[in-house]
Amino acid sequence: MGKRTLIIYVVITLFVCIFAVMSGYSQEDVTTVEDSAFEEKMRPTVQFLHDEHNEAAGLEECDVCHHVYKDGEKIEDESSEETECSECHTLNKGDNPLSLVKVYHLQCKGCHQKEKAGPIMCSECHPR
Amino acid sequence: MHDVYNFVSGPLVWVSFIIFFGGCLYRLISMAVLAKKKDVFVYEYMSFKYGLRSIFHWIIPFGTVKWRKNPILTIVTFTFHICLILVPIFLCAHVILWKESWDIGWWYFSDTTADILTGIVIACCVFFLIRRIVLPEVKYLTSVSDYVILAMVAAPFITGFWTYHQWPGCKITGIVHIIAGEIMLAAIPFTRLIHMVYFPFTRGYMGSEFGAVRNAKDW
Ligand code: HEC
Ligand code: HEC
Ligand code: HEC
Ligand code: HEC
Ligand code: HEM
Ligand code: HEM
Repeated sequence: MGKRTLIIYVVITLFVCIFAVMSGYSQEDVTTVEDSAFEEKMRPTVQFLHDEHNEAAGLEECDVCHHVYKDGEKIEDESSEETECSECHTLNKGDNPLSLVKVYHLQCKGCHQKEKAGPIMCSECHPR
Repeated sequence: MHDVYNFVSGPLVWVSFIIFFGGCLYRLISMAVLAKKKDVFVYEYMSFKYGLRSIFHWIIPFGTVKWRKNPILTIVTFTFHICLILVPIFLCAHVILWKESWDIGWWYFSDTTADILTGIVIACCVFFLIRRIVLPEVKYLTSVSDYVILAMVAAPFITGFWTYHQWPGCKITGIVHIIAGEIMLAAIPFTRLIHMVYFPFTRGYMGSEFGAVRNAKDW
């Protein structure tokens, strides 16, 4: 095997490793909120370090956010983390996205206002 | 920060809107009562047809002689007022806040459009300011209160613009913006800004007087 080929193999292996690590990373760690229902965004992406946030805020129950409702009542001890918010809080195509924005804002900002901790102004959650 | 935000974006909004609507209503009623006491003929002279005709001509750019006399001022005044009224109503951020608190919503500008319109309002305010300082015939008629009113109207736009662009200190300007907007709203009934409510009557009366009483054209 020539030196040249060896280098190429090494480089390719390295790239594959980096890619594998990166994609594994991004699958497990949620660092932003990016709902696929927003077609074109008006505001910069919301940074949300999922696990750090919930640890700092002392949120152990997943259903605080990933909730399940039945007949208008929230069901305790059941959660919906595999489901994107917009799958239940649906938007029809071409709809004005306000109703979905409202749901996110009420949950995130609503708790921050109540707890008097965490961001509440547009610029804090949508930083440029 | 949270206490301040919750206060200025909650109870203070209520206070300013109540003062705004209540104050405007009060000024309208007291004007009507005063007119009745002082000069009953106002009511007799008031004519829907000529009043509306006059308002209609006057509300169109260059529709009346006064507007035609000073074209630049006319253009600036009309763009200023159109943007001034449309931007706060159709600004996305404002509509979102209405949606969050009342679950009501309507069409809104894109952020970029609103940003440009805001820039136009600020530029018009600068124009009015310079006009007041530079033109001797305007300067002569200007008192301190004119500058204060201009500043009061410009403040929500400047602070809103600053906050939107997230320039340094934008958390503070965000709070200042909300307070400035509330001050402006609450001030409308008690300052010269009441012209927004009075104009149909002053202009309408003028039109009626000229049209129905003197049988003349109004300018
Ligand atoms: C503060 C609210 C909040 C809490 C509490 C919370 N999550 Fe999440 N989680 C979110 C948000 C918001 C997203 C969506 C990110 C997106 O859609 O881009 C998310 C995404 C996820 C995802 C990724 C889903 C996907 O489609 O990629 C998983 C898995 C998840 N959460 C699991 C959990 C578990 C397990 C818990 C409890 C230990 C939990 N979450 C608690 C807000 C929360
Ligand atoms: C499994 C479906 C489902 C998922 C997933 C879901 N929700 Fe909900 N959510 C509901 C239902 C059902 C209600 C109750 C609706 C009602 O009462 O009108 C609700 C209510 C809410 C409310 C209260 C609405 C109001 O008007 O007061 C908020 C806020 C909210 N959800 C936010 C979220 C967020 C943020 C997410 C994503 C992290 C999410 N939801 C995921 C089903 C879901
Ligand atoms: C049930 C309450 C609750 C909910 C729901 C919640 N938060 Fe928070 N959040 C907190 C608290 C409490 C803090 C302050 C934590 C601390 O002391 O650092 C915080 C802090 C933050 C911070 C700043 C800390 C950091 O991680 O840099 C961000 C950003 C944030 N939240 C975003 C969000 C978003 C986005 C959502 C909605 C998907 C959300 N939060 C929903 C309670 C909540
Ligand atoms: C506590 C955090 C928080 C605050 C404060 C906040 N937002 Fe959001 N906002 C979110 C989250 C989370 C989403 C969902 C983002 C996504 O899925 O891409 C969102 C979505 C949006 C969207 C729709 C997505 C887009 O970019 O078009 C708009 C518009 C928006 N926010 C505007 C605002 C405005 C204006 C303010 C200030 C009045 C504000 N937000 C304050 C968290 C926040
Ligand atoms: C009464 C309470 C008010 C509240 C709570 C409020 C709230 C807000 C918020 C949250 C923003 C967005 C800032 C950002 O993007 O980070 C904003 C922007 C803005 N607001 Fe207000 N506002 C109020 C009153 C007013 C009034 C009375 C006016 C004008 C007459 C006004 C004009 C504007 C403008 C021009 C912008 C910036 C637009 C841009 O450049 O994109 N606001 N306001
Ligand atoms: C539909 C309602 C309104 C009408 C018809 C109207 C009409 C007018 C007119 C005719 C002028 C005089 C322009 C000139 O100097 O030649 C004027 C000036 C002005 N208006 Fe309005 N207006 C309205 C609403 C408002 C509102 C809501 C505000 C702000 C809250 C406002 C703020 C101003 C200011 C600040 C000036 C003075 C500019 C200067 O310094 O010369 N107006 N308006």
